[in-house]
Amino acid sequence: MSDIPATAPSAKRFDLEDVANALNLGLIVVDADGKVLLWNNWIARHSAVNEANALNRHFEQVFSEPVSPSFLTALKNTLAYRLPVVLSTALHRTPLPLYNAFETNQRQARMYQSITITPIQSQLNESCCLIQVTDSSTSIKREKILRSHSEILKKEATTDGLTNICNRRFFDAHYEITVADAKRQKYPLSVFMIDIDFFKSYNDHYGHIAGDKIIKLVAATLKSQLSRATDIIARYGGEEFVLIMPHLNQQIAEQFAEKLKSAVFNLAIPHTSSLHSERITISVGLCTGIPKKNHNMLNQADTALYQAKQKGRNQYISLPLCETEEYLEQ
Amino acid sequence: MNQLNELHIDTLVEIFSIGAGRAALSLSEIVNDEVRISVPSVQVISTEDINSTSLSLSCGPFGAVTQHFSGPFNAETVLLFNEEQALKIVSDMMGSQMSLGELAQFEHEAMCELGNIILNACLSAMADMLNFTLESSLPYYTVASADEILHRLKKNANQPYVLVLHIDLAIEKRSTAGNLVFLLSSTSLTNLIHHIDHFLSNFA
Repeated sequence: MSDIPATAPSAKRFDLEDVANALNLGLIVVDADGKVLLWNNWIARHSAVNEANALNRHFEQVFSEPVSPSFLTALKNTLAYRLPVVLSTALHRTPLPLYNAFETNQRQARMYQSITITPIQSQLNESCCLIQVTDSSTSIKREKILRSHSEILKKEATTDGLTNICNRRFFDAHYEITVADAKRQKYPLSVFMIDIDFFKSYNDHYGHIAGDKIIKLVAATLKSQLSRATDIIARYGGEEFVLIMPHLNQQIAEQFAEKLKSAVFNLAIPHTSSLHSERITISVGLCTGIPKKNHNMLNQADTALYQAKQKGRNQYISLPLCETEEYLEQ
Repeated sequence: MNQLNELHIDTLVEIFSIGAGRAALSLSEIVNDEVRISVPSVQVISTEDINSTSLSLSCGPFGAVTQHFSGPFNAETVLLFNEEQALKIVSDMMGSQMSLGELAQFEHEAMCELGNIILNACLSAMADMLNFTLESSLPYYTVASADEILHRLKKNANQPYVLVLHIDLAIEKRSTAGNLVFLLSSTSLTNLIHHIDHFLSNFA
């Protein structure tokens, strides 16, 4: 069937050294004394040390820069105990002085490497080591790209598309964690419910595109009032926003509600169909206190917002946390 | 004789403590910080008696580093760690210098190396003390639940014995407990006992 004589096993039809030189990974063989017995093209290319200058020289002296101590320990261990060793990129980064390209004259960073050291035996029964080096730079890049994509998706999942502030989903999760923490650590929280006054009539009068612009502008204005990383503002619904801030006392929280109201008022956006003012305004419902077992701060802030609306809008109403809902109804 | 007596167990604890010390030294060199590894106990159980209690597999998933050793005795060795705790340790080890944080592939590779260091150190200590040579496959890393691990350990009828080492690992402020499991055939266990007896007879 075949033209190949039966006496020529296929393995002998090519030189294993050619295979080693064609491989897209680094191969080095060292003997028990650390002398280099094999130095493939890949290693020569990335170390800028050619085979002739490496063979029969002591491994450590072949490179012009030092090899990492943990690599030398691993090599010593493999030679002594004949057990294979792996050196991960994560823990070693660049054990050998290898570079991705020497053509450019710029000083480069070392190549990220992933290394395996396995014991092998020479034809003379000597204990030797095969060192395999792979370049992990590309996989690091790939993982970084995947990770940044997943971060973008994660951000999109928690951000409101129109205003770029947090969305309701993020707020609900954050609110739950924050309230639980405040209960445990016994510190005050302030929840602000904010609504744009007469927004429906603005939309009817100026159109939805103009309405969207107002929502964006108000969101940006409210957000610009915040300076601490712990303060979170989110779009709660159509033209409604919610803000949660820890560690404010009643007085400071009320001053802040006033500041929010003024910031939007001072934008001086015309709203001719507003029933009480010629410009865009907001109403704010505030609830401040140290949350306890059954307190629902969101409900209380919402009740306060309702009262602010009832009392004529463009104002804030602050309700303490301790009052029960029955009391408020009186 | 297929039973390890108290003296055998004490000898193994001694040997593995030396191995743990070597592993700690290697790891300290890598992380530039103090690493402590101890082996508080060693026990041999028959494969049938393996359960989540005997292996202290409380909650998973687990990271498992496996190597197959061969020589005077053959063993499949599996180092088991609670994956979440182990990953925290690994990311501490990686430190900020790498800024590879949370890159799963690299953490797994690092876990594989961590396991490889501990397994090789324990086995080389054994080889040194009991005076034999072992060969080993390359380590590989898998993630599995407690049930999957138990299933995998029990299905292997050729290896009716399990040598379990409890391992405590502490790096910087973090610590975790793990198990090093040796799956042994009865011939392998007999050979191991024989080597321990030989070692002990030097002191008799």
